[in-house]
Amino acid sequence: MHSNRLGWWLLAPTLLVLFLFGAVPFFYVVWLSFHQWNPFAVNPEIIYTGADNFRRLVFDSGFLASLGVTVAFVVFAVLTELIVGYLLATAFMKDFPGKAIFRTIHTLPLIMAPIIVGSIWKLMTTPSIGIIPHLLDEWIGYDLNIGQSALAAFTVTVIMDVWHWTPLVTLTLIAALVSLPADPFEQAQIDGAGKRQIFWHITLPMIAPAVVATVFIRLMDALRTVDEVLMLTGGGPGSATRYLGVHIFKEVFPKTNYGYGSAISVIVLYLTIVVCWLLYVGMLAPRTKK
Amino acid sequence: MTQTDDEPIDILEDDAPPPPAPAHGFLPIETNWFDRLFISLVIWVAICLVWLRFIEPLGADLYIAHGVSVALGLYIIWKG
Amino acid sequence: MKKGNPWLRTLFWIFISFLTLFPIYWLFVISVKPAVDLFSTPDIILKSAYWQNYVDVWTDRTLRGYMLNSLIISSGNALLCTGLGFFACYALTRFDLGGKESIFFWTITNRMAPPAVFLLPLFLLMTQVYRVGDFTLLDTRIGMILVYCTFNLPFAIWTLRPTLDGIPRELDEAAYVDGASSWKVISEVVFPLCRPGLAVTLILTWVFAWNEYLLAATLTNFNARTLTTGLSEYVTTTGTEWGIMAAISVFTLIPALIVFTMVQRHIVTGLTFGAVKG
Repeated sequence: MHSNRLGWWLLAPTLLVLFLFGAVPFFYVVWLSFHQWNPFAVNPEIIYTGADNFRRLVFDSGFLASLGVTVAFVVFAVLTELIVGYLLATAFMKDFPGKAIFRTIHTLPLIMAPIIVGSIWKLMTTPSIGIIPHLLDEWIGYDLNIGQSALAAFTVTVIMDVWHWTPLVTLTLIAALVSLPADPFEQAQIDGAGKRQIFWHITLPMIAPAVVATVFIRLMDALRTVDEVLMLTGGGPGSATRYLGVHIFKEVFPKTNYGYGSAISVIVLYLTIVVCWLLYVGMLAPRTKK
Repeated sequence: MTQTDDEPIDILEDDAPPPPAPAHGFLPIETNWFDRLFISLVIWVAICLVWLRFIEPLGADLYIAHGVSVALGLYIIWKG
Repeated sequence: MKKGNPWLRTLFWIFISFLTLFPIYWLFVISVKPAVDLFSTPDIILKSAYWQNYVDVWTDRTLRGYMLNSLIISSGNALLCTGLGFFACYALTRFDLGGKESIFFWTITNRMAPPAVFLLPLFLLMTQVYRVGDFTLLDTRIGMILVYCTFNLPFAIWTLRPTLDGIPRELDEAAYVDGASSWKVISEVVFPLCRPGLAVTLILTWVFAWNEYLLAATLTNFNARTLTTGLSEYVTTTGTEWGIMAAISVFTLIPALIVFTMVQRHIVTGLTFGAVKG
């Protein structure tokens, strides 16, 4: 065959760009996380301080609070999306007039920029101009104020994420459900299995790989949710919606404490990698068992 | 030398298309050396963070955590 | 659940679609209201449309500049990523390069990393390290085009690889036997066959770049600011110009909507990064 040199030349620009903007920043941030560096402080030098940044980080109540709300957000959002997405996917398995149009409409939020989703929900929920606080007040006398109530702000971010990303879960689960063979279901019905039994013993094991893959993707995205929350609540009130990405954005740049900021970034990256890896293993494990 | 080194040869001699090698370590999944190195690093960081939070304030130096991690890492790479 | 009557299901889906569409409709409602009407009782039905917000956005020189930046950056980035991805995938599928599967895996992992983590190192590198004399990549269009490659280039490689794998190598070989140069083979044999795949990749990378906010907010100050960052500039603690903000949102939304109609069936594959085929 023709020379491999051409192949390397074709690959070179890609590798160069990803090296400069992917690998170098990665090693740079890891290196910086072991140093103290604040260019606008009294001592603007880069000083090696060992694990001091991490020593401070594990006791940093702001960071730990951010970690806590991030976990809560991710769990609530992804679980809700899975349940709602599954119910909608099963609803799509039957025929009804206008199915294609509804499917198209349902896909619509997926293409929208996160920041636009944030601004839409800001317009929906800001007390003076939003329709939701107005209706809630009129119907049940509840005063929804995402600027003051931590619970309300948290709930609205979860609802926003569900609105934005449930379609993805629905569509992936439809793809999984469509490809299921009919035989086991017919057999189970002949044997007199109930709906619940069929779901737990036949449907769920068969769509499990698709479910795990969907959870994997949603978890990764939910962990790095920044834009919409920044737009909607700006991390507030207090630190109720200060998810990890928002925390980095708000903490690192205004304070110009680059060494400590790097340590936060490294730990966030570490947690993301661990979560992704565990799920990846979860995806592979059932396959290797056979 | 080790059991791990013999594995690939067995697979090469087999005629069947790539049979998943039976998991031979204590880890619940099948791994190659890179996976085990990766697992060791992840555990290393986890041990160090827990150490900084809970054990170092009691007076134990971080170097002990490194020692434990390296020992555990070597064990995982060797036997996992 | 809803047995029997299919029209009941349609009713159910009308309700779900209402939930999906209403927030978008509300965005439009706010965008065509004058500021004085905003704080009165919210009307769900529009009685009159007030287009001044759109005119204001369109005639604002700063915002027009942002729009132009967004357009240049996302188009440049989409072209660059699709081009580089095409060549890279050609190399990955046609040559016997040592360790190419590891390289492939490594390129993909770049996409998985949370962008928030890379804000700081990229900011520092672009201000301090990647510089030629006084020229830094910070706040330049070319800088943003390159930075967006971190998430779009892995995506392009991921989606283009199956396309190139699907083109029989015998075609290349036949052309080589006929005495064609490598460039001729790529441009006249392989490229035309890849066009549908390239088009989808181009469109999706374009949308991802157009929608990006976080990196643009940190790595630009004025000259290369994009429309998404312009949007956030209208949200301040002292007072938000809601109508203008809604109008900018609509402007940002329109290209995505156009794209949506073009590549609807590929969106799921794109967003799940090919892990699930939609």
